[in-house]
Amino acid sequence: MITSDEIAFYIQNIPAAPAVVQEALNHARVGDLQKASKYASEDPALKLYLKTLMNRPIYGFRNEVSDVAQIFGILGLGASQQTLYNYLLSLLTPKKWELFSLTNHQFYDLQASISKHWETILAHLNINDKELQSAISLIPASIIVCEALFAKRKKEVAQLRAVKALDFNTILFRITGSDLFDLSGEIAHKWEMPPRIVDLIQSASGRDENLTGQERILAQWMHLLLFYELSQPAYISAGLNDFIDFKIDFVQDIYESFAQVVQHTCEP
Amino acid sequence: MRAVVKGRVGVFYLQGFLDGNNAPSFLTIEDIKSTEDLNIDMLLVSLKKVIFFNKNGLDVFVKLLTNVRNHKHITVGFCDYDHVKFNIINTFYKDGAGFSLFKSQEIAELFTSSNKGESRTVLLYNEDPSQRSSMAIELFDYGHNPIMAQSKHEFEEKKKTPELYYAIIEDTNLGVYGQKVATRVTGNAIIYTISQFLDAEISDTFNLSYHQNSLNVGFRLFIFDAYKVISMNVHALNFFTKLASSAAEYNASICFVGLSFEKTPESFKNDLEDAGLMFFDNMDDILKNKELLQELGGGGGAAAKQGRSLTKSLVNELPQFIEATVSTIAMMTNATAIKNSVNIQPLTIPKTNDQYASSIGFYGDIDGLIILIFPKTIAKKACELLIGDENASEEDVLDSLAEFVNIIAGRAKVLLTAKKHLLDITLPRTYADVNTLLEIAQNKKGVQVDLSFEGEHFIFFLTR
Repeated sequence: MITSDEIAFYIQNIPAAPAVVQEALNHARVGDLQKASKYASEDPALKLYLKTLMNRPIYGFRNEVSDVAQIFGILGLGASQQTLYNYLLSLLTPKKWELFSLTNHQFYDLQASISKHWETILAHLNINDKELQSAISLIPASIIVCEALFAKRKKEVAQLRAVKALDFNTILFRITGSDLFDLSGEIAHKWEMPPRIVDLIQSASGRDENLTGQERILAQWMHLLLFYELSQPAYISAGLNDFIDFKIDFVQDIYESFAQVVQHTCEP
Repeated sequence: MRAVVKGRVGVFYLQGFLDGNNAPSFLTIEDIKSTEDLNIDMLLVSLKKVIFFNKNGLDVFVKLLTNVRNHKHITVGFCDYDHVKFNIINTFYKDGAGFSLFKSQEIAELFTSSNKGESRTVLLYNEDPSQRSSMAIELFDYGHNPIMAQSKHEFEEKKKTPELYYAIIEDTNLGVYGQKVATRVTGNAIIYTISQFLDAEISDTFNLSYHQNSLNVGFRLFIFDAYKVISMNVHALNFFTKLASSAAEYNASICFVGLSFEKTPESFKNDLEDAGLMFFDNMDDILKNKELLQELGGGGGAAAKQGRSLTKSLVNELPQFIEATVSTIAMMTNATAIKNSVNIQPLTIPKTNDQYASSIGFYGDIDGLIILIFPKTIAKKACELLIGDENASEEDVLDSLAEFVNIIAGRAKVLLTAKKHLLDITLPRTYADVNTLLEIAQNKKGVQVDLSFEGEHFIFFLTR
């Protein structure tokens, strides 16, 4: 199926973060949004990405927002940093999705929706930490990695899954000892993200039962948020609902709060 | 989303949130069509990983389940839920929607036929006495040993010693249960339980494809437990006569046990005997008489007297079967299997200890039987991906070996369908002791392919 060598090759070929994006990120991290927007404006692709993103329905702006400084100003520090990470991730999206019936626009919508909900969740948890706010951006990386590794093995996996309910993440873990979240963590590491973000991304798989304290709480909320998003009709149709294993026991104790915060109607 | 099929049970595994808005997205038109075409006895929706559901969400699946039940007369329902979810579902469908509710998939599987002959002791309780009784009867018909608690208090007391039971059945409701003839396996005999008035409906409720599968994989003794039959009409008579003719092709025996002729014409007995069916008063007259059991074909040997020879069309397709086997092993282990030799001969196994075997039959445009003999270590390795536990029990390994062979047969089916050969596959069988398989395959000529896998020898054998 998939070998460790293939995974190593894939990680090796992840492009480094472009210099201007890296500079913009460095300035955003120290709170200098003006310089961050100056560097971001130098990259036409990033500029277009920001403009497209800000004008997606989830942000709800009536008039078109196009100036990078204006966009960063609207987003604020944490969300600007988060958006720069989202952009980095968008560089890895395939030209054509084969494993999942997804378009890049749907993927960007997913990124945006996860980011917005994460902001609400952190506010509910009284956590004001820019790095933690931006960490969520890397969660959809697991989808990109899954697409890249399994796209050519769609039939094989379908035959396997006809007799056993196995998700892609479990298949990968059982074969290679690494799961999709480990690989997303590797990408974050390659992009020189802080180690605590890398750890948090890996913990969102819900596999580590030994997590405690804030780390566990954040991992629980991330895991449940991911499944809330992947339960949206478009992503179910795209085949994303069962690409990883939903650890229902891992998130059970936060469900009631989640339902209130994310305003999902939970009453029968 | 497609149902995962294990044995004769198909299960949809849902995850996350389920409401009226997203539920239709789980099922495309192709998914519904493929579900309706499945050859299964039970179709379930697992709620184990559903954290939120509402009635509109469930309704989408209830509609599919109801359609399938109406067309195929199989058992349908939901499984894998806790007490809270059970109560919510019962609140949603107060008057009953005709589906069954099984607390876990393991419990559901007790109510369906399999190729295994295990009799499980289970503790059972339901507030409704009629549900309680009907569950006990069904479990008994499937060869299990239900211990029925008569009161909640008795149930709670008995529950304190869970180690005594394979399963504790509560929060379970049969609803409108599938009307299939219950089937159980005892040793090498298959027992069908029939009851009431037997008429033309028997051809709908009797699982002919399961019966055919059983013949194909080597079962030679079929017993109809007919204690509860009141009478039969001429349509049922014709059905059993035809069944006897098809069994004769395989040199198989069909017996009736406990059938009373008070309300059934005596002439029917003569007709059925002429067709080759036998009658016994008690089940033990067969099952406890080893000589008779051997003679009837239920002693384990059970080889057909007239061995069916290999055909050119079957041998021509050998490369497809080998390709399916080798590629499946490569997919599951990332290792390559090397073909060492190919011979037409009876199955020859150099050493029979420390080996597992599995077999799966196929029928249609071509028919035959695939047998695989693995060293135990290799079987474990090949099934590691399916089990996910290096220290799995022998039972788990054998279960996964059956799934493994199913994948191989599924791949062979795809390859052969591409060459315009239409065929169906039987349920796989696994053998912890290779000698049992050798008794079935004795003297059968076939194509034996000796392969090596990471230096170890394993055998692929294709026969009829």
